[in-house]
Parts: sequence; C-alpha cells; structure tokens
Amino acid sequence: MTVLLTGLDQREASTAPIGRANPAAKLLVASIISVALILTVDPVTAGVALALELAALPWCGLPLRKLFRTSWIILLGAIPAGIFTLLFGVDSGSTLLGLGPVTITEGSLESAVAITLRILAIGLPGVVLLATTDPTDLADALSQNLRLPHRFVLSALAALRLVGLLAQEWQTLSMARRARGLEQGVRAFGGQVFALLVIAIRRGTVLATTMEARGFGVDAPRTWARRAHFGRGDWLVVLGGVGVAAVATTAGVLAGTWNLLLT
Amino acid sequence: MNQKEPEKPWNGPRLYVAVGAVALGVLIYLIGLPGSVSLFGTPLADLTVPIALFVGTAGVAITASTAKAGRWRVVDIVVASVLGVAGGLIFAAWNVASTPLREAMVPPVSALVVGVWLFPAVLGALVVRRPGAAVYTELVAASLSALVGNEWGFSTVWYGIVEGMGAEVVFALLLYRSYGLVTSLLAGAGAGVAVGLLDTVIYYPELAAGTKLVYVVVAMASGVVIAGLGSWLLTQALARTGALAPLASGRTAERV
Repeated sequence: MTVLLTGLDQREASTAPIGRANPAAKLLVASIISVALILTVDPVTAGVALALELAALPWCGLPLRKLFRTSWIILLGAIPAGIFTLLFGVDSGSTLLGLGPVTITEGSLESAVAITLRILAIGLPGVVLLATTDPTDLADALSQNLRLPHRFVLSALAALRLVGLLAQEWQTLSMARRARGLEQGVRAFGGQVFALLVIAIRRGTVLATTMEARGFGVDAPRTWARRAHFGRGDWLVVLGGVGVAAVATTAGVLAGTWNLLLT
Repeated sequence: MNQKEPEKPWNGPRLYVAVGAVALGVLIYLIGLPGSVSLFGTPLADLTVPIALFVGTAGVAITASTAKAGRWRVVDIVVASVLGVAGGLIFAAWNVASTPLREAMVPPVSALVVGVWLFPAVLGALVVRRPGAAVYTELVAASLSALVGNEWGFSTVWYGIVEGMGAEVVFALLLYRSYGLVTSLLAGAGAGVAVGLLDTVIYYPELAAGTKLVYVVVAMASGVVIAGLGSWLLTQALARTGALAPLASGRTAERV
C-alpha cells in the first residue's frame, strides 16, 4: 500500500506546454474527449481520437517510459473488455469462427476493436491529467477557476494530507496487535481497518475544530495564498481538446461508422 | 461556531430549482409521454398526469427538505472528506485485490464485485446526514482511487459521481429524513443500478438486452448487500465507539 501511495501528495511541476497548463484546462479536455467518445461505439472515431492524443503526447511532458509505467494498467481493463465483446457480443455479418455458443463474426470483431480503442482513447487524457498535476494545484484551480465550493474542495485536500498519517497509524496498530500477541487473519484485518476508520474520524473532527479556529468556513470573502491563473495558453489547450473531439466525431460521421449509442 | 438563524427554505438557488421542478412537471403534462413505450403493460402515455404531478411535487418537497436538513458545518465536510479518503484507500486495495476475481468471472456475474466500490456513498450519507453527502463522499473516494492510479484512470471520477447520485436519489426521495436499515439497503440498490447501467453503456454496449438487464440486477444485489447492509452495520459500530458524537448520526445514536 505504501508503495502505491508514494508521490501522491507531491508531484514535480511539469514544464511542457500541456503538462504545465492550468489543471482546470486539462480537466476540461479530459471531460470533453470522454463525452464525445462515450456517445458512440465505432472504431474510426475512437481510433482518430487516440491517434490525435498520441500526436499531442510530446507536448504533455510525459516521457513514453513514464506513460507506460502509469498507464499499462488501463490496457489491463481495455483488452479483456474487447476480448469479451469479441466472444459474446451481438453477432452480425459473416461468421469467422464458430465454437458452439461462442461465435466470432465480422460484426463482433469490429465492436471488439472499437471498444478497446475507445477505452484507451477515453483513458489517455486522464492519465496525462493525473500524472502531470499536483493535488494542491488541482484544488486551487477547482475552487478559483471553476468556482466549486471552496469549503468542500479545501476540506478534501486537507483530508488527502491525512493519507500519510493514516499509513503511520496503520503501522502503530499493527505493532500494537503484534505486541499483544493477536493472531493475523481476515477477521483481525477487518478489526484493524475498523480501528483505523475510528481514528480517521476522530482526527477529522479535531481537524475541523482547528480549521474553524483559524477562520475556515466563515462567510467572509476568502483570500488565496496561491493565485490560480487561467490564461490564453490554457484556453488553447481547451480548444485543442475540443478540436480532437470534433475531428474524431467528423471522421466517424464521414466514414459512416458513427452511431449514437443510446438509439 | 457560526450561530445563525435557521435558513429560510426559499432563498436564492433553491427557489429556482423548485420553480424548475414545477416547470418540468407542467412541461411533461403539456407534451405528454410517448405511447410506444410501455411500463408493465401500461402505455407510458396513460401515466402522463401522475408522472407530471410526481415530478413537480417531489422536486418541490426535496428542495424544501434540503433546507430543513441544514447547512453543512465544517465538521460535516471534513468528516465526509475523511470517510471519502478512507474509502479511496480501500478502493485502491480492492482494485488490485479484485483483479483475479474479475478476470475469472464473465459479465453479468462479474457485477458481483461492484458493491465494494459503492459503500462510501451510503456510509457518507448515513454518518453525515446532509444533502449531497452520498455524492460528495463517493466523489472524494473515486478521485483518490484515480490519483493512486488504477486501470480505469480518470473515468473513475465520473463513475464516482454517478454511483453517488444513485444512492443520493434514495435519500432525497425520502426527504433526507430516514437513515434506517431499509433506506440504507435501498440506497445501496440505487447505487448498484447506477453503476450497472454505466458499465453496460461504457464497457459492454454490444451485449444482448437480456444480459444487460441481468448485469444491472446483479450489480443491484451486490450494492444492497455490500454497500447497503455493510454501511449500515459499519455506522452502527462507529456510533457505538462515540466517534460520531459531533455529527447528526451520533446525536441520535442510542446510548447504553
């Protein structure tokens, strides 16, 4: 668990044009592209979107090796979904392979390719967003640029900072249990998780009192130590995202494969 | 502590939402529902008047009840955030631990595992008891799961919002007044249906309609048992420790 969590609260600032864009801009791009791709299941739209995203990658400040390290796990989800559709999807067109209930047809092959490409194309902008963004910058952008309620955004950020502390508490609990000679097992694990949850809630309650004592959550206008700036470059990034979505959809419509999912 | 007079039910945005709900009800009445779709043998068109009335009155009642349920205090927000973060850590562990399970099972059976991803929504609402608690807690948990890194990447965040809304709808329709076992089970079911529908739209759009239906029902069952019953038991146990004392759920807890 601790291996998973290293680097969660501190990520180095990116210097690449897209990587250093305002997190709100990157969030908008990821949202726009995923909405455009969720609307349809076809290989052309998803393929074009994925190709354009890969073309933009050099400006994201995410070296290929780092990209693979953070995103191979998306492949893990995309490929089984594709294989499943290949085997059990609605059949159409000529049969390529038939084994009892399992038939692979041209129709199911096309759907399988489309679904795999789609999951990848939806996932990639999110990988870039998460790998190049520091949670503190994200919170600043969410509350200052996107005007989300700052009490909620900042409390979530404060709670995120508890992750490291909770990992330490977990160690302490484990050692205390060991010293008492309690056996290890699923039941013991459940008990320890519950104890951690109680500690977390108590700590949260104290944290809330402390934050209120420092004037957090009063109705007076809030000031900010770090100004989140949404500039021309950020608008360009958003425009690029709209461009990817538009070009991919147009390509799908022109190729005749674009189909509105819910109809 | 900010000691302020209780909020008036009809200030600002709440008034607009209530007027919008009434307008939507009137709109449904004026346009009418399609007769081609039928619900349990009744054409939808015959249900226009009751559905229009329901949309209008439920909208007004729910918006009014959000005022009654009260403004979020700082302690509510922070505890919901902490529960969300704890949920996110459990997600991170479950994402890894459930992989062999999910690979071994074929949809619709694989929907059995989704319940674990739904519990922060129900737990957050049961503990904090404020309008929007289910959505907020689930959103924080899903965001942490995405930040830690998982195979679904950023779409985890969308899932979190939709799953949270599935549970939130149940608490809202009960006007944020009921937080018992039945409500909790229903909220788990709501979240299960939401995630089942989203999965069939995004991951398995090409399945036959019957299989999709089974998938949604299995997801719902998983939500009822793991998220609904599990969160209720967890809330009872937490209340017994006294950790919830500063919160609405702790104040009503039975003391021995």
